[in-house]
Order: sequence, then structure tokens, then C-alpha cells
Amino acid sequence: MSDPSSINGGAAVAMVGKDCVAIACDLRLGNQSLGVANNFEKIFNYDHTFLALTGLASDVTTLSEVFRLKTNLYKMREERSIEPETFANLVSSTLYQKRFGPYFIGPLVAGINSLTGKPFVCGFDLIGCIDYAKDFVVSGTATDQLYGMCESLYEPGLGPDDLFETISQAFLSAVDRDALSGWGAVVYVITKDKVTKRLLKTRQD
Amino acid sequence: MVAQPVQKVFPLTLKITNLPSSNSSRPWRIPVRIDCYLSHIKMAGLSFDNFQRNQYIASKGVAMPKATSTGTTIVGCKFNGGVVIAADTRATAGPIVADKNCEKLHKLSPKIWCAGAGTAADTEMVTQLIGSNLELHSLYTNREPRVIASLTLLKQHLFKYQGHIGAYLIVAGVDPTGAHLFSIHAHGSTDVGPYQTLGSGSLAAMSVMETQWKENMTKEECIKLCADAIEAGIWNDLGSGSNVDVCVMEVGKDAQLLRNYITPNIREQKAKSYKFKKGTTAILRESIYNLVDVEETEIPVPMEVDA
Amino acid sequence: MDIILGIKLNDSVLIATSKAVTRGISVLKASDDKTRNLGDHSAMAFTGESGDTVQFAEYVQANLKLFSVRQNYELSPKAMASFVRKELATSIRSRKPFQVNVLIGGCDINKETPETSLYWIDYLGTNVELPYAAHGYAAFYALSLLDRHYKPDLNEEEGIKLLQLCNKELSTRMPIDFKGLRVKVINSQGVKEYDDLTAL
Repeated sequence: MSDPSSINGGAAVAMVGKDCVAIACDLRLGNQSLGVANNFEKIFNYDHTFLALTGLASDVTTLSEVFRLKTNLYKMREERSIEPETFANLVSSTLYQKRFGPYFIGPLVAGINSLTGKPFVCGFDLIGCIDYAKDFVVSGTATDQLYGMCESLYEPGLGPDDLFETISQAFLSAVDRDALSGWGAVVYVITKDKVTKRLLKTRQD
Repeated sequence: MVAQPVQKVFPLTLKITNLPSSNSSRPWRIPVRIDCYLSHIKMAGLSFDNFQRNQYIASKGVAMPKATSTGTTIVGCKFNGGVVIAADTRATAGPIVADKNCEKLHKLSPKIWCAGAGTAADTEMVTQLIGSNLELHSLYTNREPRVIASLTLLKQHLFKYQGHIGAYLIVAGVDPTGAHLFSIHAHGSTDVGPYQTLGSGSLAAMSVMETQWKENMTKEECIKLCADAIEAGIWNDLGSGSNVDVCVMEVGKDAQLLRNYITPNIREQKAKSYKFKKGTTAILRESIYNLVDVEETEIPVPMEVDA
Repeated sequence: MDIILGIKLNDSVLIATSKAVTRGISVLKASDDKTRNLGDHSAMAFTGESGDTVQFAEYVQANLKLFSVRQNYELSPKAMASFVRKELATSIRSRKPFQVNVLIGGCDINKETPETSLYWIDYLGTNVELPYAAHGYAAFYALSLLDRHYKPDLNEEEGIKLLQLCNKELSTRMPIDFKGLRVKVINSQGVKEYDDLTAL
């Protein structure tokens, strides 16, 4: 057994566009070199706030459930859905609670603030340090490849359709150079009043 | 005989000298409980329950993943009537630049700021925790928070965690007793001095400090010195890079955060656009969700009564 | 080196488990049952550290039985899988975790049309719903066969044929005799048990 955060494999990326954000993940779940499932989605949504979780699949499931609980309680207390910025701080403090026994994950948050209309993305390390970015954030076993692709393909101010092509091409190219990621991909493009989920045609090797 | 450690015992008593009805020649001694409001400072929720699991996983020969660390250059320097701190803005995870423009200058209170190096999450969280306790303290005492108080709070917290909280900090600020500058290491030790440097770029920055620093500098000279020291780190240390953030704290004035005071590493405009034609990416399935407002209306229903 | 396989068919789920108990170079038993029924319409197959396996399976079985007795209602296979996952996910953080991998096959009879499902859960608490699944070394041989021959609308007979194909390959390729496969068929009628695949 090697590094817990690369046993199962998987990658995710989020990008900011003009009045929109996009977030993508692959569908592979493996056990080291053996592919086990090609239907393991790593993006979860808590109303209009989206969360991608890469890393140890057990912790991905556990945390997605923890945040479902926490956002439901938040919604009951506040009588409104959680905003992306608030959710980012919730993720940060939840992860830091386990500072000396962390979950092996790499979360990304993406969404559009329903009050200000501002697009928001951010990433985290496994103990909850927030990486606020104005352009893109990446996570997972294809992190290095994703940084390279995004750094060259990304440009600011892309509309929803252009952003979809850019994030998809960046993601597919990155994931094709990572043996532990791939086996299908999903991309969410989020605007103020609409969410489009697309399943991409990908390599299956 | 087994040697016993020397113990000094201070009896918890309080002298009350001016009691009007006291005719005894002996001063009154009454026990006092030290139930301090500062008990709030203990952290409510660091949970260690994954620790054993991870040790178990680690025992199978597994390398633990790296947390984002601020391989950093941070500096601080005093001037006539104030103090300046500065930092670079690069965050790294191993050899990867995780964030090109992060914020390493943290607010502890309006006029006490803190530059952090080490484990990024630790500098952020320890600074937030002590910042909030400092505000409670100042509300409780009705006084402006003091730099020495924040220093004590930080060092005691870090010492308690025996260096496992990897925060290396430069604390600076102004309070009713003047301008102050300190540094703290993760194990809880602290230093005082007219200038301080910390982080992986501290050597580069210190070489600038040691050559350029002089006594009784003006604010402008001090800002320049700090910015130059950070730049030394940016250019010469791999763990530091991007921009210079500065915070100026002057006695009798509001603290001033100069975010991205110098930006010597702006990316050149790309010569070509890499936009893709619509339809480049092959799609297997598309589903669209509309985000709608849900309005709830209460409809009165007549109560059913059993006959 | 235990073998556990699961295949989801059009209206049933097959679970096949090897019958051998091995310790070092010895085969101690040739009629082992590596499954437990979790309810009237679901069964769980398990492999892993000996001792942990049966202990965990019966712990889960007892708790799900307790739930159904108290609530007068049986959990759906999906809920059972979720429960088992959570048990393993909390166990992995304890001083001595259960080293157990399981497959859960079930039929949800409370759906409008009864719905079969198969869950793959490992000792880390990873849970996925799959059309066919296997744990351990057997997976390397069986999954490629299943990739090639599986169709979602197979009936019980065709499913058994597919299992026999897997059995043949595993008998040839696995380094020790696993003493044949015991089969459980789960559908809306309940759980049927067959002592040996070759008898079918």
C-alpha cells in the first residue's frame, strides 16, 4: 500500500468564467492498478454550492455525508442555502478539526454567490488551508498535469460555452497523462440560474 | 534516596489590607479561586480520532501526504514611531506552487498584525484563534489589546502543542505602550529585536537587514527596507516568490495593509488565445437543472375532529 | 486467496464464494460458507483477516436483524450497504480495524418493480454500486471475463453460465485449489442457496 491519497485515484478542477463557474471530475475508482468502478462521481452539490472531493474514496464518501448533514442543519437554522464563501470556511474548519489525523482528500469548492452574483472557486489542502484563486483550482492524482494544462489554456472572462470547452480540454488532456484518473468525466457549468451537467466522451484505458 | 525535582509552591492567597473593620494586627488572608475567563482559550474541538487510523496506515509503510506549507520569506522592522511587517505571496506543496498570490499577513486585532511561515493551515488557524481570544480579552478588560498579550497567548498555545502546530510567526503592532516587534517559533520560543526575519527565505532577507538596517529610520525607509528584504527572498529562495505584501503600524494611527505593495512577477499577456471552437469536446449526455426560488405558502386546513 | 464474486442480473443477483479455508500451506476445510444473509432479500459475502470476517459479518447481521425487529421494517439493500460502509469507515479509525472486504447483493422489494443491486465495499469503507464485482486476486482474472461477456439483461441461467466461465478460469489460474464455489441467488422471492456451482 502506498500513499492513501493515491490508492483510489481521481482528479478534479474548477474554473472561473464571466458570470459563471465550471467544475469537473473524473469517474474512476480503482484499487491501485485495478479499475473497480467507472461511475464514481466526485462532485456533490449543496443547493447552488458545488464541492469536488478527490483522494481516498472512503473519506470522499464520509465527507460528502458530513457536509450534507452540516449544510442541512445550516439550512434549517438560517432558512436559506449556504453560500460558496461560507461553505469554504465550513470545509476549512471541518478539516482543521482533524489536524492531527486528517482525512486524505483534496476538496474544491465552486459556485456563484446568490446574493452578489459573484463567481467563486477555491481549493484546500488536506488540513483545511484555503487557496483562494481568481482563475482556477485543481486537485487529485493529476494535479501536476492539471496545473500545466490550466496555466496554458485558461484565460479570464470566458462565457459558459467557452468555459466548458476550455475546462473540458484542459481536464481531458491532464487526465489522459495520469494512469490513476479517467474512465469517464463529468463537467458542471454553473450560471446564476442554470446548472448544466455534461458527461464527456473519454478514453477508457 | 531518589532525587526529587525542586518545586516552588505559591499559596493561592490574596492580601486584603484596607478592610475597615479589621482590628487584627494580622493581615487577612482569604483563598481565591483562579477561574479565569481565559479558559475559553482552550480549543474546543481538535479531534484526534483519525490519528490512530493514520498511524495504522502509516505503519504499513505509507508516506503521509504533504500539507500546503508557506516556504516563505517574512520580515518585520521597527522605525521611529511604528513598526512594519512584510511577506511574499507564494504557497507551495512540495515543488508545486499551490497559490501564486496568497495572504501571509494576518490580522490579530486592528493594530496588531502577524506574518506567518510554516504549515499554511496552522498559521491561518492559530492566528484566527488567538485573534478571536484577543478580541474577547479586550472586550472583557475594556482596553486595546497589547502586542505582548498576543505574543503570550500565541507562545503558550504553540508550546502546549510541542511544535506539532507548525506556525512560525512575526508578531508586530502598536498599543498604548508603543510599537513592538517579536518573532515566535513553532515550539513556543520567542525573540525580541528591532528587525526580524523568518521562513525559508529568512537568510536572504536577513542579509539585507544586516547590511541596510540603521537606527531611527523613517517610516518610508523602513517600508523600503522590509520590501527589499522580501524581494531578496523572492529572487533567491525557491520557496518564496510572486509579490510583496506590507503592513504598516504607526503609533496613534490605524494600521495600513498594503496588499501587493510590489508586484515584480506579473505574467506577460499571452500572445495567442487558446479558445476552442464550440463543439470541440464530445459529449455523451447532457442534463440541465434550473435554479428556482421556492416560495412556501401556508394553507389553513380545518382541523379534523372525531365525532 | 479467497474468492468472492457477485453479478447483478435482470431480476436477481448472484453471489459466489470459494469453499476452501486455507492456513499457510494447508487446506483446513472444503465446505466453508463465506456468506451471511442480512435479511430476507439480501446476502453479504466476505473475505479478509480470518476471525475478523465472521465476527464482522455476524455483528452486522445481528444489528440489521435488531433494526428490523424494532422497527418492523427491513432496510433496503442500499441502506444496508450504507450501514456496512459506515461500520468499516469508523472501524478503520479505531485501534484495531476490521480487515474485511465484502460484497452485498440484494433485492429491494419495496420499489414499484423489485430492484436488484450489488455493492462492493472494502475494509477502508469504500462503497460502490456495480453490475459485477470481485475482491482479492480473483478480481484480476474474473473482471476481464465479466467485462467481455456481461450484459445487463442476463437471466439467472445465463448468469450461472457466466459464473461457470469464471470458475473455469479461476480453477486454471489460481495457485491453490479453492474447492469450488458456493452460490447464492437473491431475487424478489428471497435467497436461494446452492452448495456447489458445478451441480447447477
